[in-house]
Amino acid sequence: MRALLPLATLVCLVSAMPLLAPLVTGSSWWVPALVLMVTATGASALYRLTGRNPAPVPLLQVLAVVLLLTPLFAAHTAPMGVFPTEASLDRLVQVFERGVADINESTVPVTANTGLTFIVALVFAVFLIVADFLAATARCAGMVGGLLLILMAVPLVVDPDGLALWQGLWCAAGYVALLAVESWVRRREWGAPVPSPSPGSRVLAGVRRAGTAASAGAVAVLMAVTLPLAVPSLRTDALYDLADGNHPGFGENVVHTTHPLVSMRRELGSDSAGTVLTYQTDAEDPDYLRTYVLDRFDGENWTMDPVDASDENVAGENLPLPTGWSTEVPGGTTTTQVSLSSSTPRQEFLPLPYWARSVDVSGQWHVDEDSHTVFTTGTPPTGLSFTVESSRRTPGSEDLENAGSPTSLSAEHLGLPQDLDPSVQELTDSLTEDADSAYERAVAIQNHFADFSYDLRPPEVPAGSNPVTHFLFEDRIGYCEQFAGAMALMARQADIPARVAVGYTQGERANGDRWVVTSGDAHAWPELYFEGSGWVRFEPTPSSGGGQGSASVPEHAAPSDGEDRDGSSDSPSPSPSESPSSPEEPEVPEEPQEPGGESTPPEGDEDLGSEAGGGATGAPGSPAALPWSAYAGGALAVLLLAALPALVRAWVRSVRHSALAGAPGPAAHAAWREVRDTCVDLALPWELSESPRATAARMELPVEARRALWRLALAEEAARYAPEPTTDGRPRQDLRTVRAALAASTSRSARLRAVVLPLSLAPWKRPRPAPLPAT
Amino acid sequence: MSLGTQNDGQGGGVRGQVGEVVAVAERIRGAIGTVIEGKPDVLRLTLTVLLAEGHLLIEDVPGVGKTMLAKALGRAVDCSVQRVQFTPDLLPSDITGVSVYHQDRHEFEFNPGPVFANIVLGDEINRASPKTQSALLECMEERQVSADGQTRPLERPFMVVATQNPGDMEGTYALPEAQRDRFMARVSVGYPAPQDELDMIDSHSAGSPLEALTPVADAAQLRDIADRVCEVHVAPGMRRYVVDLVNATRTAPELDLGASPRATLHLVRAARAHAALDGRHYVVPDDVQALAVPVLAHRLLPGPEARMERLTPEQIVSRIVARLPVPGPQ
Repeated sequence: MRALLPLATLVCLVSAMPLLAPLVTGSSWWVPALVLMVTATGASALYRLTGRNPAPVPLLQVLAVVLLLTPLFAAHTAPMGVFPTEASLDRLVQVFERGVADINESTVPVTANTGLTFIVALVFAVFLIVADFLAATARCAGMVGGLLLILMAVPLVVDPDGLALWQGLWCAAGYVALLAVESWVRRREWGAPVPSPSPGSRVLAGVRRAGTAASAGAVAVLMAVTLPLAVPSLRTDALYDLADGNHPGFGENVVHTTHPLVSMRRELGSDSAGTVLTYQTDAEDPDYLRTYVLDRFDGENWTMDPVDASDENVAGENLPLPTGWSTEVPGGTTTTQVSLSSSTPRQEFLPLPYWARSVDVSGQWHVDEDSHTVFTTGTPPTGLSFTVESSRRTPGSEDLENAGSPTSLSAEHLGLPQDLDPSVQELTDSLTEDADSAYERAVAIQNHFADFSYDLRPPEVPAGSNPVTHFLFEDRIGYCEQFAGAMALMARQADIPARVAVGYTQGERANGDRWVVTSGDAHAWPELYFEGSGWVRFEPTPSSGGGQGSASVPEHAAPSDGEDRDGSSDSPSPSPSESPSSPEEPEVPEEPQEPGGESTPPEGDEDLGSEAGGGATGAPGSPAALPWSAYAGGALAVLLLAALPALVRAWVRSVRHSALAGAPGPAAHAAWREVRDTCVDLALPWELSESPRATAARMELPVEARRALWRLALAEEAARYAPEPTTDGRPRQDLRTVRAALAASTSRSARLRAVVLPLSLAPWKRPRPAPLPAT
Repeated sequence: MSLGTQNDGQGGGVRGQVGEVVAVAERIRGAIGTVIEGKPDVLRLTLTVLLAEGHLLIEDVPGVGKTMLAKALGRAVDCSVQRVQFTPDLLPSDITGVSVYHQDRHEFEFNPGPVFANIVLGDEINRASPKTQSALLECMEERQVSADGQTRPLERPFMVVATQNPGDMEGTYALPEAQRDRFMARVSVGYPAPQDELDMIDSHSAGSPLEALTPVADAAQLRDIADRVCEVHVAPGMRRYVVDLVNATRTAPELDLGASPRATLHLVRAARAHAALDGRHYVVPDDVQALAVPVLAHRLLPGPEARMERLTPEQIVSRIVARLPVPGPQ
């Protein structure tokens, strides 16, 4: 029996091992972990069998594990493969460091090499030693659940697929088995509780215990759901998301980077136009800096395609040619040294000029060939500096005019959802009906936005209407996000592959070749694809004073017919004063994004659906955007929750009242129970060892109520103890009289509490027998 | 004076059959009440034991009316009453009777002892030798006398009312546990209240009120109402309650010796009588609670810890009663 708890602990932890299975590829990563755990368990079980004080067990286990590490992981450094030497220690440290580096650098699933296997084995061995101590020495097996939660959190945090149901159930089964063994051992040691007298009441006790367990579970779930709403440090918009129904399931997303549009909006909306980055370039007229590319449109929002973080596409010397470029551009390269400001939030994606041919940056970075963005799956340092060499292609209008149909591009860049408002298509058709080429269509679409207004705080989109159509047809006010999104959408409708790039404008020249990019320079723009020229930037957003300050229309996209557009000069016309004046841009929540995994697209857009809504919702993501109905609903819910005990109590009372009209026996019981619960509610004493008549004799009530109480008590007494219950009496009136008199005998506050928080509903407040002297 | 416990005049289902019990008991009690002043609880318990056909042990210091109570009871009921004054030299045959050789008829003739009566007063029972005590106690339990190979049954009703001085008095042989167990209940009379004592002076100055006492019931009536008492309903929950109560005395750590199964039977019978005296045809927890101390306490042996804490068996039983939940709805 002494060895039982260590064995159960082993089973429990082994059942938790499948939690890691989806995170690791390879077949034998679990073997060393299992060996270590079995060894440690064996040490514990054998020692405990001797019956000595179990305090040294953890030490013994650590010793066993340490001794086993050498043959398992550093066999060749040790004499006979067993005895650890200094070299084997070095080797183990080395293996450990490599494992840490592997975990940091790769995405799930991680290939199981020695380092990772070592770390997994070490973690499980430590967990087993702790769990063994908790379960077998400290005798609180329930605490092992905490360790299991830690293990469970690993797939939840790092795996975009989250936790599979069967893994959770398997792990829980192991835990329950441990608890069962522990309670069995406890019973063996302390003796079984005195069984209930009759089999019926034993069943009842079982049902009651199950009910207790179920209600404890329900309370836990309820708290897990509601507590995050109440804790301000957690997501403030959780309630909104909950009501919205669009809340992404737990475990599906992982917070890695903010949604590009959200972070851009945050930068644009920040009070002070803080410096985001500075760069030094030998280009006379530097181009925009691209950070993200959004190439999926779901009807309201542009989101990112999954990027490829495999080992083949490590960013370094030779970045792949961008799509559509058959050759490198003739002419020189531009070298740009970028320094991100240390106050800038971590950038998992690098802001780069287009097209970057090589990036010199510390850490492991990947390049996505399709979008030509450079990113990392790790945690980049703040204040990062890097050097980038880039070539710029400036296609002439003629090149674009004569571009053929896009052949070297997949059709997905034309993909649009089916349920778009047809009026958008009609608008696109009417704009482009006179255009002969794709280029002319693109320019026509771009020019359509000339008379739109630029405002960082566009009016709110009414609930239910599509933000895109609202922007295009209703208020025609927006900022770069709406302009870029709408133009890319319409370009796709006009059969031009299009996507939205997010990043920064070139910023403002500080002195010489130094340029400063502030948060006000955050920008989004459409990129249209022309065969032969690749992805080409357009600029529908108004620039200069009335628009995005430092934005500029590229030469190739400038209207050829001389139509004047705001700030269409080539030279940047910075006007920092454009930074938004409104002071209280609220903190936009971090949106879950997963740049790493190939399998899952970033899904941060789901949340943006309502709050960003294509950008026309005013203060995006602000609590002020909560409709009043949400407040009313919340208040109603709180009220309902507060009134719940009173409602339940009233229901119980009404059930009893309906029993009063029935058979005299149950009627008497119901009436007496109601008297009892009224007393409990009012915090009046109620003794289980008192018979009904003794209770009635004890209560000090006015004469009339006293008589009524006596009638109820004697009816209950007869119902309980007589061969047949008495049939006379009027329990309904008597009960009313007694309840009123009982209430009148207490203070106002006691009465109020009896209504709001009826104690009789709380099982632990019900009268219970005092323990008899040693039964 | 009402027989019922305090219930605000609410009757508990008086039926004809127990109505007669109440009437007879009321008469007896009225009669005894003229002799014993201001002891309603003691009178009530005495009547309860009488109706339950048990035996009563009255224990108290000398002079508080133990014998007077027993005598008054014997007088109030028109039946045979015998009194035995227990002394250290009393022999068993002095109680059960003796066979005497009849010279004329050349055979032994049995002269019945004082135990052949309806009510036997055993005065100062603990002054007799254990041998004599046990002779009486055997009759109490078996309700028959075995002498000279012949068994002679005793007539119903048969009630022994024994008085004894507290155990530590001089010249006493304390009743062993096994013999105490045969008494259904033990009661202490206690000193009267000052006002009652004043009244007593008046009533006793004109002569003994005992002399003026006339019988108010006879043996046949007693038999009849004792039969009625046996019909009083004891609900299953109540039976269990009694068993729980008795069981609790067996498991209580303060007690070396708990109550016997005989105590369980006595408690149920006494509770029936108690209910009938109330005019109820069913037993309620209050009956059992009221009787728990007199019926159980004298059978219990407190352990050394309880003795050190000066806990009396009465206190221990009261504690158990205060904790044991009454049977709820079935």
